[in-house]
Amino acid sequence: MADEAEIFSQLKQAVMEGDEDVAVAAAQAAVAAGVDPQRAIIEGLAAGMAEMGRLYEREECYVPELLVSSEALYAGLGVLRPLVIASGKAEKKGVAVIGVVQGDIHDIGKNLVKMMLEVNGIEVHDLGRDVDMERFITATQETQADLLCLSALMTTTMIAIKDYMPAFKTQLPGVKIMVGGAPLNQQLADEWGADGYGENAVEAARVAVRLLETK
Amino acid sequence: MHRDHSVKGKWVKCDQMTSQERWEALVNRRPTDRVPCLQFMLGHTAVVNGRPIAKIYDDGAESLACQRNAMALYGHDGLIMHGWANAGGAEFGGEIEFPYRKYTGAPLMKKNPVQSEEDAWDLRVPDDILSVGTMPIALEFSRLQYEAGLTVTLQVGSPLTWAGSVYGEERLMIWMLKKPELVHHVLRVITDFIRRKADYWIDRFGAERLMAFDLGIETNKLYSPKQFETFGFPYLREIHDHLTERGTAIILSHICGEQNKNLPLWARLSYGKRGMVSVGKEVAISKAREMFPDCVIMGNVDPVTVQEGTPEQVRMLCRACIEEGKDHPGGFALMTGCEVPPQAPPVNVDQMVKACRELGRY
Repeated sequence: MADEAEIFSQLKQAVMEGDEDVAVAAAQAAVAAGVDPQRAIIEGLAAGMAEMGRLYEREECYVPELLVSSEALYAGLGVLRPLVIASGKAEKKGVAVIGVVQGDIHDIGKNLVKMMLEVNGIEVHDLGRDVDMERFITATQETQADLLCLSALMTTTMIAIKDYMPAFKTQLPGVKIMVGGAPLNQQLADEWGADGYGENAVEAARVAVRLLETK
Repeated sequence: MHRDHSVKGKWVKCDQMTSQERWEALVNRRPTDRVPCLQFMLGHTAVVNGRPIAKIYDDGAESLACQRNAMALYGHDGLIMHGWANAGGAEFGGEIEFPYRKYTGAPLMKKNPVQSEEDAWDLRVPDDILSVGTMPIALEFSRLQYEAGLTVTLQVGSPLTWAGSVYGEERLMIWMLKKPELVHHVLRVITDFIRRKADYWIDRFGAERLMAFDLGIETNKLYSPKQFETFGFPYLREIHDHLTERGTAIILSHICGEQNKNLPLWARLSYGKRGMVSVGKEVAISKAREMFPDCVIMGNVDPVTVQEGTPEQVRMLCRACIEEGKDHPGGFALMTGCEVPPQAPPVNVDQMVKACRELGRY
C-alpha cells in the first residue's frame, strides 16, 4: 500500500498534469489507505493547483493548462470531499458568493477564481453569469456569506459593479466585496468602494484569504 | 472642414483635408495634414444617436447611419464597420442575443453551436453561407457602404476567436490540450467558411474597395504564444494570404489585449496592398512600429480611461500616443486600444479628435 507522502505526490502530480483518471485513482488510493481525506485534499490536490497558480503567475503555463488541471482537481475532490463532509471535520475559512454581473457571459475568469477560492478552503456559492443585483444580495444573505465576488469583462458591464455597490454597502453590512475582470484595476476598485481586487485568479485568492482573516 | 479655433490662447489651424481625403491619403501612402483619428466606434455611435446599441448589430441601414452621423459629429476619419469580437457562432447555428438589455454592449452568445464532440466532428460549412446567422445583416451593411461610395468592410476572423464562439471559450481551451485534432477540424471548417465569405465579397464589391479586418483576442493572458502558433497563426496566415493573392486593398488586424509574445507571428502575416494594425494599451506603440514597419499603426488610448477618466487624462494619453507614433514611416492613426466604450462620455471621445488637431499636425 502506498504511503501518505506518495499518495499526496500522486494527487499533486495528477492535478499538475491535468489527468482526471489518475486524480480519481490516487484519491481512491488515499481512501483505501486510510489517509485523512482533508489532508489529501490540502497536501495533494490543492498543493498541485497552488503550484499551477505559481506557474501561471510566472507565465510558465496559461489558462488552458489551468482549466485542465481544475478538471483533475474537481475529479479528485469528487472522491474526497463527501468523506470530509461526512466526517463533520470540514474546515472552511469562510463563505463566498461569486458571479459575473448582468449583461456579461464571460465566465472563465470567474470560474478560475472560484476554483482557487475552494482550493484555499473557502466555501463558494457560484451564481453563474449574467447575474443582477438582487440575486447577488439575496444569495449573499441566504448563505450568510462573508465575501461577495463580482466579475466583469466588458467596459459596458463593469459599470454594473459601480451601480451595484451602494446597494451592497447598505444591504450587506459586514460583507467584504471583491471585484475583478480585464477592464478593472485597483484604482477603480478603490474608487468604487470595493474591499479587494485581484488582477488574476491566484492574486484574487490571496486577497480573499487576507480579507477573511481580517474580518 | 473645421474652422480655425483658439485653445488656451493659442490659435489652432483648421484641418486642411476632409476626413475622406485624409483616409484616402493614409491608405494610399500619401502625406496627411495631421494624424488621423480612426475609431472602433460601434455601440457608442448608437448611444450618441439616441438609438439602442443593438441596432448597430442587427440592422445594417441603422448601423451605417449611426456610424456616419457619429463621424460627422466628432469629426474622426473612420472606421465604419459591422462586426464584433465574439462573432462566428451564429453562422454555425448558435443562438445570439443582440444587446438590447441594460449593460450589454455587443451581441452575446446564448448557446454555442458545438456542445459535444459529435457536434464538433459534424460541423460543416453551410451550403448557402449568405443566409446563415448574421450574414444577411453584414451583407446589407456592405451593400450600403458600396452604394455610398465608402470602403467596404468585411470581418474575417480571427478563426481561433471565432472558434471560441463556436465551442465556448472554456471548452475550446480544454480541447486544445485534450483533443487538438478536434479543434483543428473546427478551425479548418471556420477558415473555409471565412474564405468563401471573402471570395463572395471580393467578387461582388471588388478587392480594390475592400477592407478585410480580423479581431483577434488571442491574448497571452489566456493563451501561450505556442498555443497561438499552433491553433491561431496557421489559419490566420491562410486567410491573409488568400486575401492578399486576391488583391485586397486593405487588411486590418486588431491585435487585442496583451499580445506582446504573439507579435512576431502577427508580423509574419501578409497584409494585402495596405496593412493596418491596431494594438491595445498593453502593446507599446514603439514596439508595434518595430514589428510592423510597413503597416499603419493604430492605437492605443486606454478605453477604460476614455470611459472613466477626465478629458484631461484622455488628452494626456493621446499626447503620448501621438508623440510615439506620429513619425512612423508606415503611417499612424490615433485610436482607442479597443472599441470605444459605448457609454463613454462624449467629451472624452471628442478629446481624441481634438488632440489630433492640436497635437498631431504635420
